[in-house]
Amino acid sequence: MAEQKLGNPAVVGLAGFGLTTMVLQFHNVGWMGLGPVVWLGLIFGGLAQMIAGLQEMKTGNNFGYCAFTAYGCFWIALALLLIGNHYNLYPSSKTDVGWFLVAWTLFTAILWIGAMRVSSALALTFTLLLIGFILLDLAHFGYPDLTVVAGYELMATAAMAWYIMAHIIYVDLFGRDILPVGKPWIS
Amino acid sequence: MKLLRMLGWMGLLLACGAVRAAPAEAEVATAEEAITKVRAAARLLHDRGASSYADFNQRDSKWVWKDSYVFVYDCRKDRMIAHPMRPDLVGKPIMQITDNTGKPIFKDLCKAGNEARGGWVEYMWQKPGAGRLSRKVSYALAADVSFAAGIQVSAGVYDESIPIAELGKVLEKMSDPAKYPAL
Repeated sequence: MAEQKLGNPAVVGLAGFGLTTMVLQFHNVGWMGLGPVVWLGLIFGGLAQMIAGLQEMKTGNNFGYCAFTAYGCFWIALALLLIGNHYNLYPSSKTDVGWFLVAWTLFTAILWIGAMRVSSALALTFTLLLIGFILLDLAHFGYPDLTVVAGYELMATAAMAWYIMAHIIYVDLFGRDILPVGKPWIS
Repeated sequence: MKLLRMLGWMGLLLACGAVRAAPAEAEVATAEEAITKVRAAARLLHDRGASSYADFNQRDSKWVWKDSYVFVYDCRKDRMIAHPMRPDLVGKPIMQITDNTGKPIFKDLCKAGNEARGGWVEYMWQKPGAGRLSRKVSYALAADVSFAAGIQVSAGVYDESIPIAELGKVLEKMSDPAKYPAL
């Protein structure tokens, strides 16, 4: 009997990560408010990405297991932080949010090294993500104008995540690799 | 004796007059007060973010004093965020608001507020409790709020003659960290 084909949880993880990151940047560059960011952050970037991350465990992919679960939690925490700030529930100052982002920058730096062992596309995604986090850190510690720069930069990050998602889905549907992700930067 | 008593009565009357006149004098907000209130408001907005917006819509708060008040607006999204005297303006676009001389008040405030120390803008506005327009000079300052760029705080003084240059000197004096340590 043929083994049942399983889906790759990364397609959901990358979809949630990419879409929610994209929508937050639409806010950061001033195109829209925070409402959709909160709800997408809770459900798609948060819950769906976190479940995808937990499903990575069974595939034996520690990178995906850690990255998707952690960034899923990032979005849930960020959405709750926004809700808390709105309702005066453990409100976070701009400096507090800055330190929250610094911690995520350090965490991202660890995964950035790991991503270089996976593929060029993933290494580029994490390079852009790390630069985006650093720009947001600076935006919270004295250079508020960098929020907009980070906004456009992180849109490129989100697009890269979607590229990898499309790569996985299209390989499956077209039977050949039409969106190559390239060799690892560190072989 | 009679003269003395008369003088006493006159003195008492004068004192009453002075006491009566004193509150009228104290009702006028000063430039120093406007700067201090605006800086304190910017600090609160930094610390408490969006949850503090509602504080600035209350008339019976510390952000309304004498004949002045603090108001908060978003230069990037073109919205009034909080205004204790004009709830009708809250949530509405601000960039198209002009005074009776055609001056684009909030465009000028946003420009001044983006200066490193903030800045002063003069325009015509209704003084609280008065039925007519008065010359108002407002101090605008950008507030560093999480998840919101372009937020500014402002408060003004109603004065028909004080030159902007003089208010600039007050701001300079109050920006000296030796005399006015950071809040």
